[in-house]
Amino acid sequence: MSSDRLDVLDTHGRPTRVSTRVGEFEPKLLLDGEHDLCPGCGEPVAIRLLLEVIEELGYAQDSIGVIGIGCYTAFTGLIDVDLIQALHGRAPSVATGAKRMRPDKLLFTLQGDGDMVNEGLQEVIHTAARGESVTCVLLNNGVFGETGGHMTATTALGQRTKTSLEGRDADYHGYPIPIAELLVPLGGVSYVARGSVADAKSVVRTKAMLRKAFEAQIAGEGFSLVEILTMCPTGWFIPTADGPGYLDEVLGEVHAAGELVVGGKPVGKGASG
Amino acid sequence: MEREVMLTGIGGQSVQLAAQILARASLLEGRHAMFLGTYGGTMRGGNTDSTVIIGDAPIVSPPIVSSTWSAMVMHHQFWQPLREKLRPDSIVVVNSTLFENSFATADSATDSTAPEDVPRIFEVPATQIATDLGNALGASLVLLGAFASLTRLVGLDALLQAMRDSIPSYRRQHVGANETALERGFESLPPNGAPAWPTAGVAQ
Amino acid sequence: MTRTLMEGSEAIATAAVAAGCRFFAGYPMTPFTEVLENFGKRLPAVGGVCINAESEIEAIGMTWGALATGARAATGSTGQGLALMQESLSEITRAELPLVVFHMARGQGDYYQATRGGGHGDYRHIVYAPIDVREAVELTELAFDRADHWRNPVQIYGDYLLAHTSEGVEFTADPFVPVAKDWAVDGSLGGSGRSRNINPIGMQKGSKSIDPESFWKRLQVKHDQIEASEARFESESTEDAELLVVAFGSVARFVRHVVRELRSEGRKVGYARPISLWPFPAEALAAAARGTQRVAVLEQNAGQMIDDVRLSVLGSVPVVGIGGISSDSAGFGMGPLLDTRVIRGRIESALENLEVST
Repeated sequence: MSSDRLDVLDTHGRPTRVSTRVGEFEPKLLLDGEHDLCPGCGEPVAIRLLLEVIEELGYAQDSIGVIGIGCYTAFTGLIDVDLIQALHGRAPSVATGAKRMRPDKLLFTLQGDGDMVNEGLQEVIHTAARGESVTCVLLNNGVFGETGGHMTATTALGQRTKTSLEGRDADYHGYPIPIAELLVPLGGVSYVARGSVADAKSVVRTKAMLRKAFEAQIAGEGFSLVEILTMCPTGWFIPTADGPGYLDEVLGEVHAAGELVVGGKPVGKGASG
Repeated sequence: MEREVMLTGIGGQSVQLAAQILARASLLEGRHAMFLGTYGGTMRGGNTDSTVIIGDAPIVSPPIVSSTWSAMVMHHQFWQPLREKLRPDSIVVVNSTLFENSFATADSATDSTAPEDVPRIFEVPATQIATDLGNALGASLVLLGAFASLTRLVGLDALLQAMRDSIPSYRRQHVGANETALERGFESLPPNGAPAWPTAGVAQ
Repeated sequence: MTRTLMEGSEAIATAAVAAGCRFFAGYPMTPFTEVLENFGKRLPAVGGVCINAESEIEAIGMTWGALATGARAATGSTGQGLALMQESLSEITRAELPLVVFHMARGQGDYYQATRGGGHGDYRHIVYAPIDVREAVELTELAFDRADHWRNPVQIYGDYLLAHTSEGVEFTADPFVPVAKDWAVDGSLGGSGRSRNINPIGMQKGSKSIDPESFWKRLQVKHDQIEASEARFESESTEDAELLVVAFGSVARFVRHVVRELRSEGRKVGYARPISLWPFPAEALAAAARGTQRVAVLEQNAGQMIDDVRLSVLGSVPVVGIGGISSDSAGFGMGPLLDTRVIRGRIESALENLEVST
């Protein structure tokens, strides 16, 4: 096997450089470390961060998750946290009802862009405006991955999907919705941020965002949302290894990473008031 | 035995309040009661009607009746549908200050009709009495007091208590004036002139 | 024992809170609105929560979340609002959550919706149709009990008359004792390897796939058991009746009144009322219809329950519809059919037709 073609570590001999071990290879709150999602998918990385943060905050036995419908739904059987499986788009309302009855528990939703920004757009907006003490986690890959690569409300202009074959055209398909920005002006919102799992640095930053969002919930500061851009090379119709680059160039152009609301106050470039 | 009382008036005349007080007073006296209010499209100025049914046992009648034992008429404007439901021997207590129509029309009484087969009309200047008391909005309670005195469907004490129970806390200041309205109404018609129940006294 | 004067909507909310209901979410719509208002007044006083949701879809979603934590919880609407909730109604049934739904319909045109449902897949709800406010109180208490017992939704199907008629009611039920629900999520089993999963698609923890067939078959068995044991029925004067009149809900109150009137005049007419619309009391109705020459169904719609009546008597006696669509000018179902004179006329002509045809 030639290692010239693949830009990966050759493990057949002695390491030529020192490897760094950043943690366990499986989060503890997972019943099975193997998943059935596609190679190169960003969702398992994001879910790993989510579970690590819950455990590190000491909320493993005080968390309730509400799972939407998408590829990540396959993890409903694997995540070792008490879960409620919701309908497509409805997780924020389900989380609302659960949190109101169990205000001492950490409540999170796990949703994709089709789930949150298409089918359930009003749910997340209303939940944010009510200031519900829940954390919504959006895995945004700009495509319906589970159905095989169709256009969602977050699909970038020019992005090719099975329902925008020549690329998303604003005149024909309309514009993508930047959901995180949409929530910024709402009262009741305590923390909003957008991260990514395209590279190691983004992964570390995204994990910190999840931690801040949960800390805001624990402090009773209101609604929080962490949007995480994830790779979907299958749904993007590109080679697996091209996922991170495509994410930065296409999706990341529309949905820029960074914190948007911290401590209930708009921050960053959108913070004109 | 079940006794029906239909009320009609114009929104804002406290017709529904009078109906509610009547039903509540009946419960206080140990009877069973049911009432249903119906309104026109507007809260004030449209038609407002109510049907109260009082009985010795759980009410079996539907809440919309096809004929009535008695009626309280606050205004003539929307009274025609009620009029068609009056039984031949029914008891009608009318707010004569505002009522402008005639009762004696061709189809309600003919020369050949026996006196017991026409509704018995009792006129009470309820709005005038209430205005003189400085509580024009209490007219429906004056009429209710008069109706209660005439029929003894319920007693005055029960009416007074039911009124206090029916007034929301933010309208507590009206309780005294409403008591006077009920009492003055009670004095305005002969007691037990048209008794509702076969024997005197109160069901247990 | 004191009877308190209460409007139907207030009596229902009071009975629900007494039965331990601690969460309600709904969206205003006539004639259901006052049910929402009354929950809003009562729940905060007992530490519960009532949310004026932004839509019916969100209302039922919130209730779903509350139910998953083990709370007794309810939602409601009119037929129009329930139409919006159908996806969740069917999915909540598969998640086996004990939902109670207060349906204050605009007339009786939502019989199919209540008993068949408009959601996807194989699912069934228990449906009770109270005849008056006092029965609505009893059936509300029963609804929460049966919902918990079967872990299945129960619907109370009322209408404008039920929601807006005031009656003297008593609350005699025993104080509610919370039921232990080991299936409910409270977060406590996280990281134990035995964490819970309130799942409508048959997905088990530890498995990456779903198992719809065995899961749905298990639900079918449960629904068969409910069908065999939960039917409720009332009848009068059926022994020597030549004509049996069948009605449900508020309309049955008018029909029962007229049948009693006709009976007192010596007419051979009987009365039957399904209290549960699902399960439909088919056996009891068939027994009541035995020996009659005709069954007349008086419902305030174009003919929906008549299907279930026909399925119950299975051709042993002719079944005719003598009701029909009837509405007020606002569309709230308070139409001219709600009049004992009109209903008496319909039943009398059914009796006369009987004499003509025999």
